[in-house]
Amino acid sequence: MVAKAQVLEEEKLPVAPAKDSVAASEVSLYRNVLKIKNEHTLENLGIAFYDAQTTIQWAYNGDQYFHAASTMKLAVLLGVFRQVERGELSLEAAVHIRNRFTSIVNQQPFMLDLGRDADPDVYGHLGRTLTIRELAYWMITKSSNLATNLLVEVVGVPTIQHALDELEIDGVRILRGVEDQAAFEAGLNNEVTANGLLKMLRLIADGRAYSKVASDEMLNIMLEQQYRSGIPAGLPKAARVAHKTGNISTVHHDAGIVFVEDRKPYVLVILTQFPAESARGTAVADVSRDIYNTIAGMTYE
Amino acid sequence: MSEPQQIKVVDAFDLDDELRSLLKPGEMVRDAQGRRKRLPRYFYEIPTHDAAIQIRLTPHFGINEFILVDLKEAQRLQQFPRYIPCAVRLLAFFLEQFRTVAGASIHIAVNGGYRSPAHKMSINATEHMWGTAADIYRIGPNILKTQELIAKFNDVAEELSDDVTVMKYGHDTGISVDDHVHIDLGYVTVVPREISEDRMEVPQENRPRFAFEERRRRERRAPQIAVTANNKSE
Ligand SMILES: [Zn+2]
Repeated sequence: MVAKAQVLEEEKLPVAPAKDSVAASEVSLYRNVLKIKNEHTLENLGIAFYDAQTTIQWAYNGDQYFHAASTMKLAVLLGVFRQVERGELSLEAAVHIRNRFTSIVNQQPFMLDLGRDADPDVYGHLGRTLTIRELAYWMITKSSNLATNLLVEVVGVPTIQHALDELEIDGVRILRGVEDQAAFEAGLNNEVTANGLLKMLRLIADGRAYSKVASDEMLNIMLEQQYRSGIPAGLPKAARVAHKTGNISTVHHDAGIVFVEDRKPYVLVILTQFPAESARGTAVADVSRDIYNTIAGMTYE
Repeated sequence: MSEPQQIKVVDAFDLDDELRSLLKPGEMVRDAQGRRKRLPRYFYEIPTHDAAIQIRLTPHFGINEFILVDLKEAQRLQQFPRYIPCAVRLLAFFLEQFRTVAGASIHIAVNGGYRSPAHKMSINATEHMWGTAADIYRIGPNILKTQELIAKFNDVAEELSDDVTVMKYGHDTGISVDDHVHIDLGYVTVVPREISEDRMEVPQENRPRFAFEERRRRERRAPQIAVTANNKSE
């Protein structure tokens, strides 16, 4: 049993106060996280979680900024639903599928390298249209870069940042779409903190991201996530996760809302950065497993 | 057995306030060079989606291909009845020739046919607002994504007639990225034969007037029996 294992673990801790299992869990968690960080030779690790069942919130390095990679797509999703909620955009509106975008640096045009975008779902419609709803779906579930840049073009970066500001989500900075090489070279990147993404996901989980309807729509899209090597890989099969991964050469992130039977969901953000020479490991899944064990332990105490 | 096609022609001054404010018939706009151009006033009215598909301007170009837009077009103008300047039939005529010479089907892109003055891409006057320009992203199986392909088909289009203008590779951006052929006939306006221009540029007595422009004249003129016989023999 997961819960039992957790208790045994705690008993071995010299500093854990016997009766305060929350404090004990925190110490245990902290120690395990450091272990994972060392084992995977991570350069940086940021974690934030909030458990709606126990109302415990915990963070490790929660305010450190990381390259956002594809977790920025959550902010785009938020920006889209802001406009939908305000009646300025329809989810059924048609968008011309076109692979040409403008860099935020010098307004230079650029095209996505679609060989890397594992994405016939969107690219296959080149020259035709997809709806906002379809683009949002592919942007999240298959991390389509083409869908992302099209949606960024539709709603605009200022609107996305405005959405973050008005929902008081600090720790998520959106400057541009994806694959803007000129911007990357100029050091202009989207950045996130674990606490920032946590705040955003908590609003969605609580139905407070603009409205219950909008939050549920976003949640349902995130539940269809097809890349499952991050948070879900550390969980029992029955767990459902509404999440978004973010992978580029040296970062591997996952941010999501975890639904486990018979308890309220918990929100978890894991940001990892590793040296260029080391391959992407299982750090995110390992942290996810650890957090799950800790939370399960607290629940069943 | 096909009947002669009739396309309803409207004087945009007779349309409701919202449509007039979006189509801006007869109003002046400036092109990118600051030259003033008067927007078209006579439009084909396309009543339904089915009609858009059925109305052929030439053997290979239906009117629906010229009205494909996305959310950049004003919401009201995405609803039927739709409107498109009558000069579009001239464009269709040249595109049909283009198709023949290119030896492949021509695909007008979304937002690549008629764009109203309210369309988000209509910053300056462009021929798209006259219905006399088409952006083409695909010719037969070729997606036009290389400079070579675009230059090749630009040459083919330009050879058609002195009335046809194309844009150089990278015209939108001034540099080396492009994804389509733009072909246009300039700022051509058409006053359909059936229209009478005997009035000031305001609606008279609030009574809309329109005409029907009859298409496929040869078939219409031919004796009914002969037409039937021809159809059977084919
Ligand atoms: Zn054009």
